Amino acid sequence: MLLIECPWCGPRAETEFSYGGEAGIERPADPYALSDAEWADYLFFRSNPRGAHRELWNHAQGCRRWFGVERDTVSYRIEKSYRLGSAGSGRPAAAQIEASEEKRR
Amino acid sequence: MAAAQPNRLPSGGRIDRSRPLAFSFDGKACEGFAGDTLASALMAGGVSLVGRSFKLRRPRGIVGSGAEEPNAIMQIGEGAAAQPNLPATQVELRGGLTARATRGWPAARFDIGAINDVFGRVLGAGFYYKTFMWPRSWWKHYEHGIRKSAGFGQAPDGPDPDRYEHMNTHCDVLVAGGGAAGLMAAMTAAKSGARVILADEQNEFGGSLLASAASIDGVPAADWVAAAVAELQGLEDCVLLPSSTVFGYHDHNFLTIAQRCAGPTGSSDGGAVRERLWRVRARQVVLAQGSLERPLAFCNNDRPGVMLASAVSVYVERYAVLPGRRAVVFTNNDSAYRAAISLAGAGAEVAAIVDSRPGGGGELGVRAQALGIPVLAGHVVSDVAGRRRVTGASIARWSGDSWGAVRSTIRMDCDLVAVSGGWSPAVHLHSQAGGRLAWDESRLCFLPAEARQAHVSAGAGNGKWSLGECLADGLRAGAEAVSRLGLKTAAIRAPETSPDAGENPIEPLWRVPAARDADRCPRQFIDFQNDTTVADIRLAAREGYRNVEHVKRYTALGFGTDQGKLGNINGMAVLADVLGKTIPEVGTTTFRPAYTPVSFGVCAGESVGELYDPVRTTAIHQWHEAAGAPMETVGQWRRPWYFPRNGEDLHAAVARECLAVRNSLGVMDASTLGKIDACGPDVVEFLERIYTHNVGRMKVGRCAYGVIPGEDGMLKDDGVMARTGERRFYLTTTTGGAAAVLDWMEKWLQTEWPELEVYLTSLTDHYSTIAAAGPNSRRLLEKLGCDIPLDKERFPFMTVKPAELAGMRVMLFRVSFSGELAFEINIDSNNAPAMWRKIMEAGAEFDIAPYGTETMHVLRAEKGFIIAGQDTDGSVTPVDLGMNWLLSKEKDFLGKRSLQRPDCLREDRKQWVGLLSQDGRTVLPEGTQLIGDNGKAAKMCGHVTSSYFSACLGHPIALGLVAGGRQRKGETIYAAQAGRDPLPVQIVSPVFYDPRGKRQHV
Amino acid sequence: MSETSSPLPGVEISVRSGRGFLNLRLNPRRGQALEAAERILGQPVPPAANTFTAGEHEIYWLGPDEWLIATAAERVLSLGSELAEGLAGFHSAVNDVSGGHVELLVSGVDARTVLTKGCTLDLHPREFAPGQCAQTGLGRAAVLLAAGDPSIYTIVVRRSVSDYLCSWLANAARPHGARFPAR
Repeated sequence: MLLIECPWCGPRAETEFSYGGEAGIERPADPYALSDAEWADYLFFRSNPRGAHRELWNHAQGCRRWFGVERDTVSYRIEKSYRLGSAGSGRPAAAQIEASEEKRR
Repeated sequence: MAAAQPNRLPSGGRIDRSRPLAFSFDGKACEGFAGDTLASALMAGGVSLVGRSFKLRRPRGIVGSGAEEPNAIMQIGEGAAAQPNLPATQVELRGGLTARATRGWPAARFDIGAINDVFGRVLGAGFYYKTFMWPRSWWKHYEHGIRKSAGFGQAPDGPDPDRYEHMNTHCDVLVAGGGAAGLMAAMTAAKSGARVILADEQNEFGGSLLASAASIDGVPAADWVAAAVAELQGLEDCVLLPSSTVFGYHDHNFLTIAQRCAGPTGSSDGGAVRERLWRVRARQVVLAQGSLERPLAFCNNDRPGVMLASAVSVYVERYAVLPGRRAVVFTNNDSAYRAAISLAGAGAEVAAIVDSRPGGGGELGVRAQALGIPVLAGHVVSDVAGRRRVTGASIARWSGDSWGAVRSTIRMDCDLVAVSGGWSPAVHLHSQAGGRLAWDESRLCFLPAEARQAHVSAGAGNGKWSLGECLADGLRAGAEAVSRLGLKTAAIRAPETSPDAGENPIEPLWRVPAARDADRCPRQFIDFQNDTTVADIRLAAREGYRNVEHVKRYTALGFGTDQGKLGNINGMAVLADVLGKTIPEVGTTTFRPAYTPVSFGVCAGESVGELYDPVRTTAIHQWHEAAGAPMETVGQWRRPWYFPRNGEDLHAAVARECLAVRNSLGVMDASTLGKIDACGPDVVEFLERIYTHNVGRMKVGRCAYGVIPGEDGMLKDDGVMARTGERRFYLTTTTGGAAAVLDWMEKWLQTEWPELEVYLTSLTDHYSTIAAAGPNSRRLLEKLGCDIPLDKERFPFMTVKPAELAGMRVMLFRVSFSGELAFEINIDSNNAPAMWRKIMEAGAEFDIAPYGTETMHVLRAEKGFIIAGQDTDGSVTPVDLGMNWLLSKEKDFLGKRSLQRPDCLREDRKQWVGLLSQDGRTVLPEGTQLIGDNGKAAKMCGHVTSSYFSACLGHPIALGLVAGGRQRKGETIYAAQAGRDPLPVQIVSPVFYDPRGKRQHV
Repeated sequence: MSETSSPLPGVEISVRSGRGFLNLRLNPRRGQALEAAERILGQPVPPAANTFTAGEHEIYWLGPDEWLIATAAERVLSLGSELAEGLAGFHSAVNDVSGGHVELLVSGVDARTVLTKGCTLDLHPREFAPGQCAQTGLGRAAVLLAAGDPSIYTIVVRRSVSDYLCSWLANAARPHGARFPAR
């Protein structure tokens, strides 16, 4: 069972979280400007890397915040977890990496 | 007593002779002492035959003294509290314990399957794969026979009555193994201020020290252990767990420990816990689980009386049991000399120490010879005689050629052969944690190498064989863990021990040569439990298996309850030898949890019966129960299904409830609906993006039906939403979708649109929802006393108002899920039971009918309203459901782009339609396949999603998804029926009742 | 950890009745919203994650912009209106959630052990000290758990799962000679 660092609540057991898929997928500004193939690529295709992977997690049983995690898909080591961009930053939050202090002991 | 325990020594050992314990084995009364294991008690009682082997049914005896035991596998207890497949070496003896050999029905001494051994030549590697596959139709007969004779334990015959529990805990340092190294590591960490858990699989701490003649700091080793344990017990943050096996090392330093607490109690009423699962998050781990002795592969090395040398020492020194009267000790290393010395000290005769090394042993060899024990250096035991018990050993000169044949042998009478083929550190947890292994050519074993998680190995598990080394290594490991925690290590010195005896190095000896070549000689066992032999491994290699994982599966090496603790390294070494590779080139198989078998009971813990899954109930639940309503499970909710009167069945009750709503008045507890308060300056913009309709056009006080598609355009959820303020909405979701919808909205708000200022708050539990439906619902509310006018002009359909009803504050919705005049009363759950009772009282004059989920389903189906998740399955768009009218052309919303994908525009997509059985009476089963014609090869064109008998219409109605269905209204298609001809059904509009919707507008 | 029932129960469990709850949302870094709320509530609104303040009310941190206010049931209506009015100028949300929560007290020398059976948090007093709270899991229910005086814990749980949680607690507490009010 993973130990995931919620950027607000600190390290908690994996059972408190829900997984939200790959992070950093930028939503097209104008979906209608995309071909069907491009739209499908945004919608359905993910990188599924071996190694470092940025992903979204939600502290579902805790503060209900979505946040980013960088996790190694081979070793399952979590390199860092970070808060998403705050309001008014002008860019989609999921596309940002705003690293919080790595609190892992 | 002497008769009951003929092999018990008169003195010594760690058993309590003042506490005899009676138990039974295979129905026979036996006796042992407190402090015994089942294995030591059986041995004391002279039981040498404890089971039969899996495939060949050969008689087997006790080989080991711990987790490695492959033969003495027992069924413990009877009936529902029985536990199968426990090694007798790990079962603490208790009074009244009943044990049966699980291998060897009806009893170990008599086994009808033993004939397999005679014809066993054909039962080689891969036998099951080769023989039982053809003809295929016979497999069920094979399987029955195999299972019956397999002789694994029997599953308990009822739910386990005993109590099991889980314990979640955290520590700075978890020490796995409480022998010399583990105790030192725990002491070092605990005294340095760390929170420590020390777990050991035995009932006493000390490990091999409990059977050791050594002294530490001038006192006997066992006394040093007792003092160390007492000191640790006195420390506040140190938890000592005896009888506890650390069986799993999972990701992120999460470890699982199974603790055996009490015997089967047969009752969960008392407080006694039978087993406890510790789920430990450890910041650092010290692995000090010791090492496992390896046997040697000579002919008939499985005969009862052939034992591990270290186990012989343990039985003599710890349990005061003499495993044999005249022993031959066979070894390739120095450690087995201790067994010879133990035996001699206990009065047994040691016929010889047979040592494959030309130079024999080191200092221990000198000591043995001083006791008059003959040492035959440069010799091997090539075969043993005896069937149910060893009667003698054949000893040959060792040429150094494993695969050659021995020429002449001398025979030595004996009833015990104590064997040591060297030691393998128990690297299981290290490997489970992802750690690497490195082959040590001088110690001839795999040692733990780089760790991937926060752990450090110590003691014999780290290749430190001598006591002095183990103590020092435990201290080092404890200090390392402490320093990684950032704590200061307390000043602790390594205890002093008598200097380690100088040893001669171990010699590689994997297969012992026999009188005939390896394929024709008597069996040389590698894996005792699965009857895997040297010849099997050679055969696998000859047949082309090269990869150790494949050889494992082909020969069943390491498959048993012992998971190859004895045999795996020997098997790999033999494979390497046959393939002409080195052992590290062949490598090991993967180590996975659990280290030793764990019971289902301890895995489940408290999560059984009513605690298996949380049950959610509404505030009015007690009333429903008192009314005798059968319950339906919807997600985790328990909802009333129907309310039978006077012994009505489901159909009668539902028909009556439906007619009550259509003709007078019904009331339903709809509290399980999800409810969300959404407010903020950007709430309209946000909801415009989430919902498909024009949210901004809704005036304050208006309600609207809304659907939520996913970004793929498929319908996720639906519900009524109400605008309760300029910047505030009250959203409802389906019962099952409540959490998912809130998560979905929060995800978009937090990850994609953080610039939108919207707060979402779940009100699902706060508000109870009572739906009053039927032509008399308005009169009911008026009778209850309502402070707002309820007429259709001032409180029209699809509006919401705060109100006071029957003296209580409510949010009153003028909405309908039945198509009738209806009101939904949202009320603080604390007041809901009172409101419900008042409604029932006031409704009596209208013969009010409480109704459940079944009637709700029928009523909405008559009106052609969907149930998301029943009529939809994640592949259905709002367009497929005929909801084009809900899709705004003026704005974008999530999923809109996807609705333009070519697949979503296909004319022949499955579309939602009504279906009428043409016989006018068949209620189609939900899920029925729909086909285009009644021919045998007809192609499926859809399926039924909802189906009921409509009491109001007097005939069955169904809803379903049909390819191109909307253009096919009036057509006849067919419903497949099991065992009968397809039934013709007509495609119709999904709205069966009051298609113009007049009734809800009155 | 006592495993046999003794005359003195190691743990006592009770349902606290007469409680009301408000859910408060506001951005603590925006304008003077936090200060406005604190003026009305008469006590600090805890800014630190997983802490609570105790005064006339208990105010629990639920998220970076969310708090749960537990107070006497009869105070909820007026307090909710005052907050809604006082915060009208800010992006905020005040919701009466009194019907949605049940408050339980678990106390006694074995209270921590009982909770440990179903909670993955580190409840060691050094790690989960009085004044701290956490939304987490207990058994299979989501709860808000708060540490009061040593060996007294407050649990706030959704009303619909409170029966389940009470059964779970009663079962977990049985080996510790629990006293539990008849339900």
